[in-house]
Amino acid sequence: MDESTETPVKRTYDRIAEHFASTRAYPWPEVTAFLRPDAGDAVSRLDADATDALAGGAAPVVTRSTRDAGGPSSVGLDVGCGNGRHAESLSAVVGRVVGADVSAELLATARQRGENRRTDPRPHLLQADAASLPVCSDAVDVAVYVATLHHLRPRSRRVASLSELSRVLAPDGRALVSAWATAHDRFDADSGFDTTVPWTLPGGESVPRFYHIYDPTEFAADIRDSGLVVVGTAVSSGNCYAVVEPGE
Amino acid sequence: MKESLMDILCDPLDKSDLDLEVDERDGDEIIEGRLIGSVTGEVYPIEDGIPNLLPPDMRDDE
Repeated sequence: MDESTETPVKRTYDRIAEHFASTRAYPWPEVTAFLRPDAGDAVSRLDADATDALAGGAAPVVTRSTRDAGGPSSVGLDVGCGNGRHAESLSAVVGRVVGADVSAELLATARQRGENRRTDPRPHLLQADAASLPVCSDAVDVAVYVATLHHLRPRSRRVASLSELSRVLAPDGRALVSAWATAHDRFDADSGFDTTVPWTLPGGESVPRFYHIYDPTEFAADIRDSGLVVVGTAVSSGNCYAVVEPGE
Repeated sequence: MKESLMDILCDPLDKSDLDLEVDERDGDEIIEGRLIGSVTGEVYPIEDGIPNLLPPDMRDDE
């Protein structure tokens, strides 16, 4: 097999971390719609159906948590936190935020971002594998798992990571999951497939990244097979989204 | 990492409790040390304030 397709995602992101992080300043509007549907301009460019699907799941999380709605003991988790931009968004709605990523170099950029922007509460950062989370069962009130699932291979690891998300969510917890979709402008396919998408560093060096591109039906099926319960789905800006709650 | 995080962390392998050993701290921030699986005995290093809780087979070989 081509060596480039075997590069672990950890090594890929350790290599490109600094440049990658510098190009990721703002939270995705879909994540903002999930966490803070009343955020106004930040979500206004989304279409109404997507906003409804994303916001319908999340608004209750912050207000209805049986433990401590948005208070100091409420826990938010960002799986695949990268430079921490969405961990920062979680800081606006929960008392404690955990950002987990496989790449130590990306975690270093997340720490720097938290310090530079004085994010409060400051995210707790962990180096961790999405498919074997080091987080206690039922510990998390709200989670985001965006633009990360598609880097795992094979399918069994992707489904395992979704099962882990189900395990760590509190019974009233909710999460937003996203992955690149076949609907993205750069693809011409109707069913999901594995591919390699290069990241080009400023010097011109190209670093391959593995992706599984999902078709929306397959995305929903993998989520259901993990035990998570789908509350709402949307396709927006070339990504599949699902708002989920934990299974029994 | 903050010591207060211990209440939601577990061993990634079997989800059992972790024990904390501290080599260096700055207030409530653990800078250097390790987390040890109470059942598996696996050692997860804390370096420069960030715990490496990757399963052992995903760690760097370098």
